[in-house]
Amino acid sequence: MIAVLGLVVGVVVGLLVRPEVPAVVEPYLPIAVVAALDAVFGGLRAMLDGIFVDKVFVVSFLSNVVVAALIVFLGDKLGVGAQLSTGVVVVFGIRIFSNAAAIRRHVFRA
Amino acid sequence: MNSEEPPPNPGAPQTPPGSQPPGPPDPRRQMTGRQRLAAGLWPPRVTRAQLVVALLLFVLGLGLAIQVRSTNDDSALRGARQEDLVRILDELDGRTERLEDEKQRLDDQQTELETSSDQAEEARKQTREKEQQLGILAGTVAARGPGITLTVQDAGGTVDSDMLLDAIQELRAAGAEAIQVNGVRVVAATYFSGSDGDIEVDGKRIRAPYRFKVIGKPQDLEPALNIPGGVVQTLEREQATATVAASEEIVVDALRPAQRPDYARSSS
Repeated sequence: MIAVLGLVVGVVVGLLVRPEVPAVVEPYLPIAVVAALDAVFGGLRAMLDGIFVDKVFVVSFLSNVVVAALIVFLGDKLGVGAQLSTGVVVVFGIRIFSNAAAIRRHVFRA
Repeated sequence: MNSEEPPPNPGAPQTPPGSQPPGPPDPRRQMTGRQRLAAGLWPPRVTRAQLVVALLLFVLGLGLAIQVRSTNDDSALRGARQEDLVRILDELDGRTERLEDEKQRLDDQQTELETSSDQAEEARKQTREKEQQLGILAGTVAARGPGITLTVQDAGGTVDSDMLLDAIQELRAAGAEAIQVNGVRVVAATYFSGSDGDIEVDGKRIRAPYRFKVIGKPQDLEPALNIPGGVVQTLEREQATATVAASEEIVVDALRPAQRPDYARSSS
C-alpha cells in the first residue's frame, strides 16, 4: 500500500514541481524510466509468486536503470544511439509483456 | 505474448528482476497470488520492504512525470536525439541559404527598380522644366521677374498700332522675355491693328493708357526705349507721353490658351 502511495506521490510531485532535468541526464531519462518500469513489473510478479525480496528488487531496479543509461550513452558515443535505444526499449517491452502475462495469470487465473 | 506459463522455478533464466532463489519453505507460499496481492495492499504495514519499494516507485513516478511533461512541451526539439538535431540544423541551414539567395535577388531587383525610377523621375523633372520655359515663351504660364513698366498716355488719341508694335520690337530686341499689354499676353503671333487711339491687340480692343509690363534685364530695356529717335521720342513727338519705370518684381500673368497645332508635329 505504501509502495503504491509512493508511486502516486512521485507522479504528483513531478507534475506539480516541474523540476529542471540537467541536460546531461536528459537523453537517458526515458530509457531509465522504461528500465525502472521493467524492474517494477518484475517485482510485482515476484511478489505474486511469493518470492519477493526487497534487496533484490532494489538492486535490480538500480542496475536496470544504470545499465540502460550506459547502453544509450555508449550508443550515442558510437553513433548508433537511436538504434540502440530502440533496441533497449524493445527488449524491455518484451520483458514487461511477459511479466504482465504472469501477473495476469495470478490475478485473473487466466 | 508467451502462452506458456513461465516455470515457477525462480532459478530459471527468465527470472524476473526482484525474484530470488528458492528460500526456506514459507507459509506464504501456500497462498495464491491474488491473496498475496490483497495482503500486500491492505492493511498498510510499515515494513522495510514497503518503504524501500515506495522510495523507488517514488523515483519512478517522478521520472515518468518529468518525461511525460517534457515530451508534452511545445518544443519538439527538447527530446530530440543528437543526430536528429544535426539533421534539423542542416535543413535549417539549407533553408536559410535559399532564403538568403532569394533576399539577394529581391534586393537586386529593388535596386534596379529604384535606379530606373530615379531615371524616370529625372526625365520627368527635365520635362517639367522645359515645359515651364516653353510655357513662358508661348504665354501659357504666368511669369515673374525683374523688368520695366512702360506706360503710354495718349490724351490726343494719336497713337497708332505701328508705334506700339515698334515698342514691342524694340523691347524684344533688347532681350524682353515676357510682355503683356493691358492684360493681353504678347507672343510670337501677336498682331496690332487699328490707329488713332482705336487699337486692337490680337483682336482685343485696348484703351489708353497702354501699360506694357515687360520682364527682362532693366538695364538693357530702359536705354533701348530711351535712345535718341527711339520709341519714347517718337511717341512724344505724337503728343503722347511715355514713362518707363524699372522694377525688381514684374508679374506677367495674362495667359494665352495652349493651342495644339493642326499640321505641324514635333520631328524630334
